[in-house]
Amino acid sequence: METGSENTIADALARLWAKFLPENLERVRILESAGEALGAGTICDADRAAAAAAAHKLAGVLGTFGLTEGTALAREAEEAYPGISPSDAAGVTRLQQIARQLEDMIRAR
Amino acid sequence: MSHRILIIDDEDDIREVAALSLETVAGWEVAVASSGAQGLVRAAEYNPDAILLDVMMPGMDGPSTFRELRKNPLTARIPVLLLTAKVQSNDQRRFADLGVDAVLFKPFDPLTLPAQIASALGWN
Repeated sequence: METGSENTIADALARLWAKFLPENLERVRILESAGEALGAGTICDADRAAAAAAAHKLAGVLGTFGLTEGTALAREAEEAYPGISPSDAAGVTRLQQIARQLEDMIRAR
Repeated sequence: MSHRILIIDDEDDIREVAALSLETVAGWEVAVASSGAQGLVRAAEYNPDAILLDVMMPGMDGPSTFRELRKNPLTARIPVLLLTAKVQSNDQRRFADLGVDAVLFKPFDPLTLPAQIASALGWN
């Protein structure tokens, strides 16, 4: 059985999640855009840094709202973006897949 | 026992969830700052019992903010807990070497964050 404090926190977290949903979707959009640039072979250092930073922020926040798998996926992206080569087809596909999974997960919460 | 905590984090969502947790679960008083520079001023004014300090912030990052806090006699003795999403062991060693009182990790559980802070600082 949930305590009053847990219910209060759960309600307040739901409100905060809704408030910050656009910010989290924008972070995912940055990952999607970097994934497209990787696939096209046009990714630049600024894209990589932006993607790693967006993934870092998602890794930090998603688990706090109960999306622990989202945190794991975002960490994987954060670690991969600085060094991945556009010629690493499997790695590029994986990062594109992570962005899609994160979007689905965030929209479904 | 009530405590006064200063949260320094550039991310609005993390700041608000942490504040919610400390105020609602533990009944502590909370002040917030959204940058290292703002945090230095707020820490000297508010004189908190502890500071929850984000590591990765634009401008003055967490480690730099921590060093500045230690230089100021008004804030030098305030316990500081670093809050980071970095989980690699070399990062953890680097943070521990700074001399902070504890390192806590994101994501955190809002229901247990106050207990983590209390345990790290021996407030139990």
